[in-house]
Amino acid sequence: MEVEATPEQKQAETHLARSIKFLQRGIAASETHYIYRALRTAFSLRKRLQPDVIAEIATAYNSNGNSQSIKNCLNVIFESLQQSPTESTPASVTCEPEVCLFLGLLSALYLLDNGHIESGANLTEVLVEAISTAQRRTLDPISSRVFFYYARFFEVANCLADARPKMLSALQAATLAGMKETKAMLLTLLLRNYLHYKLYDQAERLTAKSSFPADAPNNLLARHLYYLGHIEAIQLNYSQAQTHLLEATRKAPSNAATAGFQQTVHKIYVIVELLMGNIPDRSLFRVPTLKKPLQPYLELTQAVRVGDLAKFQDVVGKYQDRFLKDNVLALIQRLRHNVIKAGIRSISVAYSRISLRDICLKLHLDSEEDAEYIVAKAIRDGVIDATIDHENGFVQSADVHNVYETSDPQYAFDRRIAFCLGLYNDSVKSMRYPDSNHRKELASTMEVLRRERELAHELENDDFDGDSDVDAMDEGL
Amino acid sequence: MSARTINKLYEQTYAALNSQNPNLEAIGKQVSQLKVGVVKLAIQNSEIEADSSFQLLKRGVAELGAQLSIKIGDIAAFERYLAQLEPYYFGNRMGLSDSDVMYPLIGLNLLRMLSDNLIADFHTMIERIDLEQLQNNPFIVHPVKLEQALMEGSYKKVWQARSDVPTPEYLFFMDILMSTIRNEVASCVEKSYTSLPFSDAKSVLFFSNMDELLKFAQDHQWIVSPAEKRITFKSDAEDTHLFQGENIMKQTLSYAQELERIV
Repeated sequence: MEVEATPEQKQAETHLARSIKFLQRGIAASETHYIYRALRTAFSLRKRLQPDVIAEIATAYNSNGNSQSIKNCLNVIFESLQQSPTESTPASVTCEPEVCLFLGLLSALYLLDNGHIESGANLTEVLVEAISTAQRRTLDPISSRVFFYYARFFEVANCLADARPKMLSALQAATLAGMKETKAMLLTLLLRNYLHYKLYDQAERLTAKSSFPADAPNNLLARHLYYLGHIEAIQLNYSQAQTHLLEATRKAPSNAATAGFQQTVHKIYVIVELLMGNIPDRSLFRVPTLKKPLQPYLELTQAVRVGDLAKFQDVVGKYQDRFLKDNVLALIQRLRHNVIKAGIRSISVAYSRISLRDICLKLHLDSEEDAEYIVAKAIRDGVIDATIDHENGFVQSADVHNVYETSDPQYAFDRRIAFCLGLYNDSVKSMRYPDSNHRKELASTMEVLRRERELAHELENDDFDGDSDVDAMDEGL
Repeated sequence: MSARTINKLYEQTYAALNSQNPNLEAIGKQVSQLKVGVVKLAIQNSEIEADSSFQLLKRGVAELGAQLSIKIGDIAAFERYLAQLEPYYFGNRMGLSDSDVMYPLIGLNLLRMLSDNLIADFHTMIERIDLEQLQNNPFIVHPVKLEQALMEGSYKKVWQARSDVPTPEYLFFMDILMSTIRNEVASCVEKSYTSLPFSDAKSVLFFSNMDELLKFAQDHQWIVSPAEKRITFKSDAEDTHLFQGENIMKQTLSYAQELERIV
């Protein structure tokens, strides 16, 4: 391509060329380390990616690589860059598929940013095809990103279900080949895919039957935890959901780029907390990035906290569209009885004896009989400690006993200790030790030890020679 | 059987099931004939799966089966038929238009989950139903309201819901639900009352005559005193404050183990 390149393009080209060098070094040493580096540089260039820049690099690489299969694959890339429909040439890659896929990934990025969804989907489909024929460990980081964009294109094109079969078979292949990052990515994408269609059953089965790689990158882990939490919340497994969602918020970095994720997770987190009968911290709603999107949830929390059924209905009615958009309306509907429980609890704290009729009026219940059953259920569920006198129609609260006489505080401490120990163990596990450096250090200490021993030996010998050589030895030291 | 004879048989069975006094045994035979016929058709011609009239027939047969299994009270079979109907009722519905019995059957399935205490499945199912239907369709609203009342503990409402079912078929599951509720109420009553006179216990537990109540009380090992005409409940609040030594030992040992690893 003989077009006059702008300095920016030149810079992008040199960056890309360097990325490819990294890739090749990574392949040679079979170290994923370098591959990550290549990907990082490339993604920082995202805004400046132009078809001719990619093409230039591809041509340059092509002339060195001189392998027929790479040419095939690159042809596909070229074609899609020119936005002509691709004929799906099965690209059986035999030589350095990493580089080929890397270039493909860059092209896909360009297509996505410029809204060429259809050709992007075609391109990624070819790339996915290519991955299935080449299973290598060094391919892992690249292929996981290819799948991400594969799913993304299908999502934008609104036909996410069509991407499922390929991803499922790829998941199988990745598990067998031990490609951990790809596996983690695919699991996460599949969960997203299922949740998009509200197939909670299938999503739950997928998580039950598969194991998420323990050493997956943090951002994938955070997303996976969020999806898990969501599924568990739907299936009434609130305590698990709460743990997972909390972990998701902690694992995700808290910067401007992840604000959206944090908001989404916190929305569900607040509801799950409420469903468990806890009231989320007020400080949560003051965090600058969360304040505005969580406003409806704050009002909801307030209604639940006071136990005001009428206010609760008001809030739900007022923000129905918002909740529907956030996909949590059904979860919120379940909160109704938590509101009643909260109401009963505050009544039982305030009154030592109250008639059923008054409870009925205070909680806006339909009938006294209902109130009686509701209170009875609350007593059985351990919400309040009281007895009902049926003949006289009142509820008698039991004496409040000291919590510190029970084992509750101990449980609370135990939970916190377990969390701290878990955190400690996790951080020990995730520490990395550069393996060659400490060997070098070891060699140098060995050297020092040897020299010292020699010195001691010489000193011993010198003793016999008398003091004549001491000055000379000092110099030698 | 050719496609046409199967369709004819389907029409006949459909009419028979919806008649005044259906002969359930004969219909059961016809439904199994239909099922075999449909499978045979699919084997003979693999392209027929793409045919919408064939899918319509398949759906119809499964629906007949589901309705029949409710009539003869075979819950396991009902569950199986509903699983078969899932692709027709959710998602893109195989490109078919909604069936007339779709929402009644979904509602029945919801009720089945409630009566079986499968609350998690119930909610998973609710998530997949359109909001519009969830709020307005009488067949869906009924079980949803019921679940809410159950969760709150408004058992009186549940009891009343029995009298305003959208179709008589719902009664089958409602009856199962009632015995579940009675047990729920019993466990609540045990905890929240010290004693109850016979007449009140009878109304609280929805019994119509005394003998049933006395038998129920016996099953739950309540103390019945015929002289005072009262039922007294045992309180078992004492054992919650016990010192749980084994638990604490386990915890302390695990802390020691972890600390060992750190130091």
